[in-house]
Amino acid sequence: MHNTSIKIDRVSAVYGRGANQVQALHQVSLAIEYGEIFGLLGPNGAGKTTLLSCLEGLVRPVGGQIWLDGIDVLQEPAAAKNRLGIQLQRTALLDNLTAMELVEVYAALYQVYLTRSQIGDLLERFGLSEQRKSLVQQLSGGQAQRLALALAIANDPYIVLLDEPTAGLDPHARRAVWGMVRQLHTDGRTILITTHAMEEAEALCGRVAIIDRGQVIACDTPAHLVASLGAHPMLKTSLELPLDQVDSLPGVVSSRYSGQYLEIESSQPQDTLACLHNLATSQGRTIGDVTLRQPNLEDVFLKLTGRPLSV
Amino acid sequence: MKRLIILTKAMLLLHLRNRTTLFWNLAFPVFLLVIYSAVFGNNQVGEQNYMTWVVPGVLVFNVLSFGILGSSALMVQMRESGVLRRLHASPVPAIELVGSYLCVNVLIGVLQCALILGFAALFFDMAITPVNMLRASPAIITGILTCVALGQVISGVAPTAGVAVAVGQLVNFSQMFITDLVMPLGAMPDWIQTAAPYLPAYAIVQLVRTPLLSGSFGPDWGANILVVAVYTLLAGVAAARLFRWQSKV
Repeated sequence: MHNTSIKIDRVSAVYGRGANQVQALHQVSLAIEYGEIFGLLGPNGAGKTTLLSCLEGLVRPVGGQIWLDGIDVLQEPAAAKNRLGIQLQRTALLDNLTAMELVEVYAALYQVYLTRSQIGDLLERFGLSEQRKSLVQQLSGGQAQRLALALAIANDPYIVLLDEPTAGLDPHARRAVWGMVRQLHTDGRTILITTHAMEEAEALCGRVAIIDRGQVIACDTPAHLVASLGAHPMLKTSLELPLDQVDSLPGVVSSRYSGQYLEIESSQPQDTLACLHNLATSQGRTIGDVTLRQPNLEDVFLKLTGRPLSV
Repeated sequence: MKRLIILTKAMLLLHLRNRTTLFWNLAFPVFLLVIYSAVFGNNQVGEQNYMTWVVPGVLVFNVLSFGILGSSALMVQMRESGVLRRLHASPVPAIELVGSYLCVNVLIGVLQCALILGFAALFFDMAITPVNMLRASPAIITGILTCVALGQVISGVAPTAGVAVAVGQLVNFSQMFITDLVMPLGAMPDWIQTAAPYLPAYAIVQLVRTPLLSGSFGPDWGANILVVAVYTLLAGVAAARLFRWQSKV
């Protein structure tokens, strides 16, 4: 356990009682090393937030053990909480305080007392210098999310838990938050991040655990998870051609129609595309649109569960 | 201690920057005094001018409103918005949060009372001597704590801030007219006169009014203290048992 920052051992959690009881987590085990950005990827309701809540001491598991920086969360909750920086899913900010006041309060919760200059430096780091005296309710969604990240490290924690930090943000604001998460990582912190966006997991995380219906169904680097599929790039076009002709093209592994689109899995996409063009031209047709997509974590989830990730 | 001060300051700022709270806590009682002065200003209650008699009643009514309505609604809002959940995820002991919350409530309550008494002294020639003020102060502060505890019972059972306000209004306004706050109890039907001494607002207003206006503690102070103590104890225990860090899922 020496190099393990977060150790989760066969943790189970339930909500409700009797006939209404729901198993939110079932025998979840994970070991996250110091300095990792680790992602929990899964659809809404998969159990990601419940797992984070167990780490935060907000939900008491019905079975299993959790250690944060070697501290047993169930035995020493206050000491474990002191190791954590937290950004909750529903960003619970006190709307009628200014950004500066809020940082002061959240740091003080951990008995960290920041000077005005330290608070100013922290806000500047997250691009919030101009908003330091603005009330939280006056901040935009992206600014509030950046403030939530600043608050998560106001107590200079070893471990930072981020629960869907880009939920509800536009692509520009999302990329800005990604940059800031990477910045937290360069400080040497362990970061555990939940998301249901596979591109976020691929962009940020060194390792990912795919979680579904309260269970970890896969855990590895995004590249290894995708490679484990043995899948090939996918060509997608609205061209209509008989599938037997498409299957005879070089490199084609499989083909099918999905809605109005023809999807072709190919081991040699460039050759396949060139021949597809020739085939279409010989029949007096032209290829209006073609997209090439590499296999990704979405495909991994689909293969493991039989369901798409983004529903 | 430093953490407690920072938390208390933050909660105080939350109260003072909330315009609705400000209106109901600070502007409304003054407005109420002006209305009573215009309507009943020339009346007498026993040997006293109505305005002199009603000022402690308005003061206690406001303490009641703040504890049962303002304080409980703020707690439910903090629970609904996830603020309490976030605080629970921090290493702050619950007792420190409760301490900070009570400090703020007492501070706001005292501020309200000072405003009401100051206004009454300036515009209604009410004579408030330091000795009388000193003798009424423990009852005012205890009354604030009693009403905050009652409010927290409501916040513990109310699923939303809207329900907390509705239940609070019911409790608050039902006591306004029947507990000797703004209408003399002698003008009420017999059954109300019999029941009122067992209600917290009645006991608190007797413990405030008599020393504030006469400097003495009055004949029934022991019984009134008992009533207030029982309500505070029961409400305090119930509030602690009903307290929830987050909304029910």
